[in-house]
Amino acid sequence: MEEVKIGVFLSDCGKQLSEILDFDALTDYVKKVSGVALVARDSEFWRGSGLQAIVDAVKDGKINRVVVAENLPKLSEVKIVQAVEKAGLNPYLVAVLDLKDHCAWPHRDKPLEATEKAKAMLLAAIERAKLLEPIEKLQFPALKSVLIIGGGIAGIQAAEDLADLGFKVHLVEKAPFLGGLAARAGRFFPTDDCSICIQSPASDVKTVTHTSRKCVYRSGFTEIPNLNILTNSKIVGVEGVPGNYKVTIEKKPRYVNELKCVGCDLCTTVCPVEVPDEYNAKLKTRKAIYMNIPNVYPPVYVIDESACKFEDCAKCVEVCPTKAIELNQKSKKTTLNVGSIIVATGFQEYDPSVIKEYHYGEYPDIITNLEFARMIDGFGPTNGTIIRPSNRKPAKRIVMIQCVGSRDRRWNPWCSSICCMISLKHAMLIKSAYPDADVTICYIDVRTTGREHEYYYEKAREMGIKFVKGRPTEIVHDPEVDLLIVDVEDQISRKFLELEADLVVLAPAMVPAEGTKELAEILGIELDEDGFFKEYNAKLRPTETKLRGVFLCGGATFPKDAPTTSLHAHSAAIKTAKFLNTGKIVKDQKTAVVNEEYCGDCEFCPVTCPYGAITLEPKDEEHFVAKVSDLLCEGCGICVGTCPVNAIELRHFRPNQIQAQMAALMSINGASKPLVLAVCCSECGGTVVDSSGMAKMQYPANVRVMKVPCTGFLQVHQFLRAFEAGAQGVMVVGCKSDGCHYEVGVKKTEKKVELAKTLLKEYGIEPERLEIFNMVYIEGDKFAEAARMMTEKLEKLGPLQLMKT
Amino acid sequence: MEQRKAENTNDLAFSKEISSRLGGETVTLCYQCGTCASSCPVARITEKFNPREVIKMSLWGEKKEILSGDAIWLCCSCYNCQERCPQRVEIADVIYALRNIAIKEGNVPNIYSEFAAGLLNEGRIVPISKFLEKKRPEVGLPPLKPAGVDALRKILSATGFDKLQKKEEAS
Repeated sequence: MEEVKIGVFLSDCGKQLSEILDFDALTDYVKKVSGVALVARDSEFWRGSGLQAIVDAVKDGKINRVVVAENLPKLSEVKIVQAVEKAGLNPYLVAVLDLKDHCAWPHRDKPLEATEKAKAMLLAAIERAKLLEPIEKLQFPALKSVLIIGGGIAGIQAAEDLADLGFKVHLVEKAPFLGGLAARAGRFFPTDDCSICIQSPASDVKTVTHTSRKCVYRSGFTEIPNLNILTNSKIVGVEGVPGNYKVTIEKKPRYVNELKCVGCDLCTTVCPVEVPDEYNAKLKTRKAIYMNIPNVYPPVYVIDESACKFEDCAKCVEVCPTKAIELNQKSKKTTLNVGSIIVATGFQEYDPSVIKEYHYGEYPDIITNLEFARMIDGFGPTNGTIIRPSNRKPAKRIVMIQCVGSRDRRWNPWCSSICCMISLKHAMLIKSAYPDADVTICYIDVRTTGREHEYYYEKAREMGIKFVKGRPTEIVHDPEVDLLIVDVEDQISRKFLELEADLVVLAPAMVPAEGTKELAEILGIELDEDGFFKEYNAKLRPTETKLRGVFLCGGATFPKDAPTTSLHAHSAAIKTAKFLNTGKIVKDQKTAVVNEEYCGDCEFCPVTCPYGAITLEPKDEEHFVAKVSDLLCEGCGICVGTCPVNAIELRHFRPNQIQAQMAALMSINGASKPLVLAVCCSECGGTVVDSSGMAKMQYPANVRVMKVPCTGFLQVHQFLRAFEAGAQGVMVVGCKSDGCHYEVGVKKTEKKVELAKTLLKEYGIEPERLEIFNMVYIEGDKFAEAARMMTEKLEKLGPLQLMKT
Repeated sequence: MEQRKAENTNDLAFSKEISSRLGGETVTLCYQCGTCASSCPVARITEKFNPREVIKMSLWGEKKEILSGDAIWLCCSCYNCQERCPQRVEIADVIYALRNIAIKEGNVPNIYSEFAAGLLNEGRIVPISKFLEKKRPEVGLPPLKPAGVDALRKILSATGFDKLQKKEEAS
């Protein structure tokens, strides 16, 4: 092995730090440490001449390890590492420490103690640097093809973006036709324009006949090269890894050859089977061979296999002029190779028949918002006429009820967020068509939070729509007058009302689409507690999942209106494009590695890994060993903290590196106070120390910080080793319990700390010498406070007494 | 209910007191949808009782008005509201909790004191009148036997009921 030659670069931040820390003493001290080949001091090292000095030393071969004391922790680290890599040294041979925020500023009142702590920090960085290993860059293939699940507004928009960008796109829709929920809704709020265009969505216009960029009806979306649309199909299996998935798709038989059918309508004329048309709210019947509405994609018929009599009838086969009907079609499985997957499965309307007091499904004149949307659609079952389904006479008195099965802890506790606007839309559409209609909306709260939504509500009041603040207790049917009676208290007037209605329209909750749970299992991604797909980070990574190759958009994550769905879909498309664009995934191998000699047969790490990166592979006939996927591993080290036999390590946090760092931090005190080791995760736990220092919050210099990737990386014995290394107390600082950046790490550590406390007791050590803290970045004051309290507590306890053996 | 004065007399600890009692745990879940009020058969016939308003006043901490008023004693315990509450507020049980607090604080409507006294002294809520004693044999009913007052008193003493009643008599 090449001799270790360490260059130590001390930045005094333009003499800010040298006013507190004795830089001459630090330089002298560092020079004497074995392995140090070069010590330099400057006002900054992360750019300009300072950075050049590092680069030159590396290029000249004077040093092969770099230790930099610099402020601006993340920024300086990135700049230095990039420059060093360019100069020809592996970036993982660099250690950056922050003497300003971790030492000088928080201990500015005690310069002597601070200088001693700085020595310990430098020694720790140097000792760690000696043991660092180069880490290689890995490359994995990324196929430039995408599977999009769900052919509604979200899936279509994402598909169009990606296909136009040149990716091969497979758009898979479960139903026989594209369009999803939005197409069925007929019109969009708050503009009341039609929603049919989402079957051929907003795009660069692809037709030659004149079409504006705004109205995109029939823009020719379906004919983009690279776009493969599969309707009547669903995902049955997914194998592989991000960048290279093998997806199995099952296409249900349509019984109509898509290439031959000309959509002429002869088949429906002769078909003798009539069934209630579910797509159209059962307000009309349809034949066993059908289209949802005359304007659909693909523009070909489909046979409803639960209704068709097949060979016993086959009248359609006889009459079809292009011989398109194939009653012997079978379901077909195909496999696709894709680089990533976008889930755009949307949401659906809740079936309110479970709410017995509203009698949906029992009285035909009680319908849902979606059913009403079909009724007022010109393409719909009544061609836009508002009727009472029970007698098909016009409905003039209409009562709408909000929050049916949503905001309801018995069924769905969330607010479905779009139903207020849907009901306002419907109420106004009724009033526009029938100014003499009597429309009442019973609400708990009217939520119109979107752009121009409040004006929409205002317009509804202007139009004379009545609003009753109160959730009705029951809808009853009065057979004598054949009317529905809605029982409600209007809280504003404090009156009990019995509203008479020809038609009651319920606004049911919006719930995850059918099959969401099964799909989540197939893909290996998580659902939230309401059953919607869960984003990796709702704020900053709103379309990503825990798996780097799987993205989400639209109502699959929560009910959304059309504008929000569009934004979400375009965002998912760009994230997917970014992921696959270069055709490869480049990743540093800062991952876990298994020592196969020790590993054997337990299932702790595969079960614990939040990313599914560890599998058990047969070692020989009887034994299994853990295998880590370098592609899936995020390098958190939770597996390390779980392994009972120390058979798994992180390449960038080897046990000897940790040990050396710990010993060095505890080797110099310089103060009369008891030494405390603060083991912090690199996320909130470590940055809270940064922010504490940045804000110049004061805590004693006996508190020494050591960073690990996630506190979940820690093993119980490491707490004990800290005491062995000379710590009088140990603070473990991690993220908030429910805010761990690696999902489960800090929660596991909380348990491990409990266990370690029990062990400490056994060894005769006061368990309160070990404490865990959960903090977020901005709680610097809390860290300073905790450090002070810990020190005070240890002073009271007195020196650590180890049990004599 | 009269218009509430904007006095700063609200006792917000009151809702804590309610939610710490058996039956009162769910009171803070209420979001005032009014399903309870429209479900309530009593609220239909008297303005003195509206379950939604009882809950709202409880959350506002209008302790005095709630405990000294008639409202909480007018609930007929049909549990319609509780069945239909979308937030699973146990409204009828909250009202029981409120009644318990009211009794603890010495606010018992006369009729309830009379029932309680009857129970403690005679073992009966409805006293046996001369009229009743005369009428029973006429319709072929046997004379009423004396109630097991001693056994009953033991039970009432074990539950602390007798002490509450004494407190009421003293006040």
